[in-house]
Amino acid sequence: MSTDSFREMKPVSGPAAHGQLARSGPPEPALDAGASPTTGTGALQPAGGGRKPVRRKGLSERNRPLWMLIPGGVLMFVIIVVPLFLGIYMSALNLDQYSLRKWVSAPFIGVENFVEALTNSPLLHSVWLSVSYSLIAMLVTLPLGIAAAVATQNAFKGRALVRSIFLIPYVLPSFVVATVWRTMFQPDGVVNSALNVFGIDGGLWLNGPQTYWTLILVQIWASWPFIYLLALSGLQSVDHEVHEASALDGALWWNKLRYVVFPYLKGPLALAFLIGMLHHINNFTLPFVLFGVPAPADVEVLPILTYVTSFQSFRFGLSAAMAFVSLVLIAIPLFIYLRAVKLDDAETPGGKK
Amino acid sequence: MRFAPSAKLAAVALTAALALTACGGSGSSTSASSGGAVDGAGKTLNVLTGVNNQYPEEQKKWQSDIAAKFKEKTGAEVKFETFASANDELTRIQTSVVSGQGPDVYSLGTTFTPTAYATKAFVTLSDDDWKKVGGKDRFNPAALGISGPDSEHQAGIPFVSRPFVMAYNKDLLAAAGIEKPATTWDELAEQAKKMTNAGAGTYGLATGYKDNFDPWKFIWAMSVQAGNPLVDGDKLKMDDPTVKKAYETYFGWLTKDKVVDPAAIGWSNSNAVAAFASGKAGYLMMTTSSSIPTLDKSAVAGKYAYSIMPTTAPGESSPKGDGDKAASILSGDNVVVADYSQQKDLAFAYIELITSKDEQLNYQKIFGELPANAEALASLTDPKLQPIADAAGKSKATPFTGAWGDIQLGLLNVTVQSIPDLAKGSVDESALESRLKDAQSKGQASLDRAAKS
Amino acid sequence: MSASTTSVRGTARSGSGGTTFRPGSRRQHEVTRLLPGPMLAIILTVLSAIVLIPVAYIFLASVNSDIGVANGEFWPSTFSLENYTKIWSSVGLAKGLGNSVLVAGATAVVSAAMSVSIAYVLVRYQFRGRLSILRGLLALQSVPGTLMVLPVFVLFSSAASYLGVQVIGTQWGLFITYLTFAMPFSTWVMVTYLRGLPRELEEAARIDGASNLGVLVRIILPLSWPGIVVSGIFAFLLGWNDVLFASVMTRPDSQTAAVALQVFGASQEGGAIPLYGQMMAASLVCAAPVVILYLIFQRYLVGGLTAGGVK
Repeated sequence: MSTDSFREMKPVSGPAAHGQLARSGPPEPALDAGASPTTGTGALQPAGGGRKPVRRKGLSERNRPLWMLIPGGVLMFVIIVVPLFLGIYMSALNLDQYSLRKWVSAPFIGVENFVEALTNSPLLHSVWLSVSYSLIAMLVTLPLGIAAAVATQNAFKGRALVRSIFLIPYVLPSFVVATVWRTMFQPDGVVNSALNVFGIDGGLWLNGPQTYWTLILVQIWASWPFIYLLALSGLQSVDHEVHEASALDGALWWNKLRYVVFPYLKGPLALAFLIGMLHHINNFTLPFVLFGVPAPADVEVLPILTYVTSFQSFRFGLSAAMAFVSLVLIAIPLFIYLRAVKLDDAETPGGKK
Repeated sequence: MRFAPSAKLAAVALTAALALTACGGSGSSTSASSGGAVDGAGKTLNVLTGVNNQYPEEQKKWQSDIAAKFKEKTGAEVKFETFASANDELTRIQTSVVSGQGPDVYSLGTTFTPTAYATKAFVTLSDDDWKKVGGKDRFNPAALGISGPDSEHQAGIPFVSRPFVMAYNKDLLAAAGIEKPATTWDELAEQAKKMTNAGAGTYGLATGYKDNFDPWKFIWAMSVQAGNPLVDGDKLKMDDPTVKKAYETYFGWLTKDKVVDPAAIGWSNSNAVAAFASGKAGYLMMTTSSSIPTLDKSAVAGKYAYSIMPTTAPGESSPKGDGDKAASILSGDNVVVADYSQQKDLAFAYIELITSKDEQLNYQKIFGELPANAEALASLTDPKLQPIADAAGKSKATPFTGAWGDIQLGLLNVTVQSIPDLAKGSVDESALESRLKDAQSKGQASLDRAAKS
Repeated sequence: MSASTTSVRGTARSGSGGTTFRPGSRRQHEVTRLLPGPMLAIILTVLSAIVLIPVAYIFLASVNSDIGVANGEFWPSTFSLENYTKIWSSVGLAKGLGNSVLVAGATAVVSAAMSVSIAYVLVRYQFRGRLSILRGLLALQSVPGTLMVLPVFVLFSSAASYLGVQVIGTQWGLFITYLTFAMPFSTWVMVTYLRGLPRELEEAARIDGASNLGVLVRIILPLSWPGIVVSGIFAFLLGWNDVLFASVMTRPDSQTAAVALQVFGASQEGGAIPLYGQMMAASLVCAAPVVILYLIFQRYLVGGLTAGGVK
């Protein structure tokens, strides 16, 4: 479930990623490394904490408590996989208000919903909106998060407090964030009255073309701490000797950052970038609570479009087709992400141990 | 704390068993004229109804009073559940329809009745069923206009009527030398100009462009009055010049005539009520009798009156087609009984209670809503209500098609997408045309699907 | 933030708990210093302001009058705490919070427990399909919620019609949904965590004849608290923040705080002037448990983060 879970998983995914980054490099390499014995070649796998590959093999072949997988596996199968296929099946049905009551017998129309979704619906526009808004938000949050991480890397009085403050947007629930910003962005609200002080007419934030930027602004506010967390984890992995060496060289701070420190951030940030994109694309609560439905055309992002199509227009089949298309859209970056992180394994300094 | 499901399940099973036997019993033994014979001891009736934002406390009190009366009458409990917005309502209905479980009785806005009817998930009343709710003739015949596609197939039982009228500030009209409220939209704009004094913060008209319903009601009324019923058989006529003219008139109040407070682009209907209540507006458009309790406590108490809205389309000199019967959409609330309900007789008994003359009058007193009960309606003598009752007679039902929800959404969406233009002071003609074209094609597609089903 | 004092203490503890570079040493400080002083100050000030101004606004608006908020006041012209007493009846917040704590709390505990055992098997044993399971866990997370709502609902309602088990409208339905949706990520967290644990202890225990379950309960569990806390908190947040599923699967009795707030907000659209003050007060109250939870466990979160750097 990614609609909302996205923001929620960030606060923890950060630290989680840290723990693991610090221990054995980025998560995916670990994943693959852990899995590599399966591929059989076995004994001398270099990665994944494989300090004792030989003995591990022996251990693994004892009575394996595979039954422990069953409860969780059954749950995930019944509550995620089955409904997922049900959803995909629905995308091939002409399921609307006329057939909803007996949905099992709704007419099967094959790919018609997909054709309609792609040729005669705002789907492609929504795809464009979703991707562009996610990307812009991501490109702004990256420098913010890195700056914050670099700034809180060195100990100073009150650093702990500052670190806590930086994570606040993160732990606030999405619906709270959206409610608050919606209030602030009212036509006569506090944002516009603040802008008025500087002689700027803020205009309408919750209607019209400007909504696109409203959404981006709020998304940035809510999600930059995620980047901050991952960047911080990258900085933690910079060895002390590296600091000493560059200090001996007398490197200027900018050069030191640019050539010594930033390379350590590449891995964690690649991870942050892709997870972040997925989560922006799947974010339902933020636009839903900020703008309501029908949303202005400028923020009719994918989750809103699928929601409106099913729950406002009763086109459940069409909506399922749209959601499926967006799933494909998300799966592609996910695939790239799995590959990309694997590549990082060889290059990331953090992963060298 | 409900993590004790077994006890609850047992209770549900028991209730279901009781319900089955009870239904069997009453079905065979009574053709009860009033449903009063239903024995609901130990049962619970679930009722879904909209939350009343204007009078939340009163609503809670009314619900507990009705529940007590119902318990006295049948022995059964009533449990109310409220939805906060049209959006919530839709979601609840859909999930109930697909799952075949949920509330027994739903309260629906009239314009939503066609969509609900299209799902076939609600009881189409038989003659016998009508008897159980007190007989069809207990209701104001006009109010039955949107209960079903024809008089033989009706699912919606009228609960209240809410015809739309306009309120006017008698002092402001008099000060501007206006003798009587406008009867054409052109005249209305002229009068509004006379009353507008932007410097003093006084405007001729109060209406909310960001309301979720009002905008399409204006467009519908002006179009119908110009002879375009919007839906003509299987054809949607939203690309008709009359519709464009309607939008231009509606937007023009703000952009050309400048008779509406510019802040109204962010208003809902209730903001407009508040503006009128403070004496800052000559006319309050698209309001209902439910504004009475608010206005009677406001600065305009005693200084305002209602009138039916114009019935002559913009640019015309007299109503065309059904125009003179289209002072308002046929509006109000219907109640429907879910087809899956295990206790339909109990549901009918509840409806019989809330549509009885006394309860309807009581409801009118608290919330200002016009009774759907014919006798109760006839007994109202307040002269202020006369134009409203008049409008009830001149109300026209919106087209009864399952596609209406989409069409309504399309009409509303044209306004939603035009709000930034309105804020800038003018709506570009070609932009409006393309929005209309878009709404036309989507609405037509929806109509096509309705025709196929 | 009502919990600001806790925040200071909590973070101070965590700060001193395990920073990479011991703050006492002046030389250390010089060596690891990354930014010139003025720039540091600017970054910290600007970012803190970006975060704190809206947060302060929530509180200020919650004690302001609705008109004041509507007119765009930042600093209230009138102060009143009555919004905080009103929300309990108008929003129905008490019941919502109770349900949220119950559902999210149960989700956190159970999902943490289940994900530890799954992760343990995935990390320590090899079997066919292991890699697919790991990959699948990630893939499951990318499924859009809007695609899942109706099918999950249909599934649960079929459970009612065919099995006679009423799930919709009970906390059980939500609990099972959140539990399942939380599991892929919780498991993933635990997998990465367990992988970092040394094997020596386990192997010693096995030599002493401990069973699989015994090793899990007596060796793995005590060592994995930071990971368990992280995955538990994740699951808790998921349950606490969800609006989409909760809005279709709850009834008034089982409504969560998120839904109560969303419904209250939606119903305000019709009001003359929305009850902004109450909305902000309720927002703050809804956010408080999460923020407090985060502050309590921050030590684990940040501790896990810095421990790696120390190694």
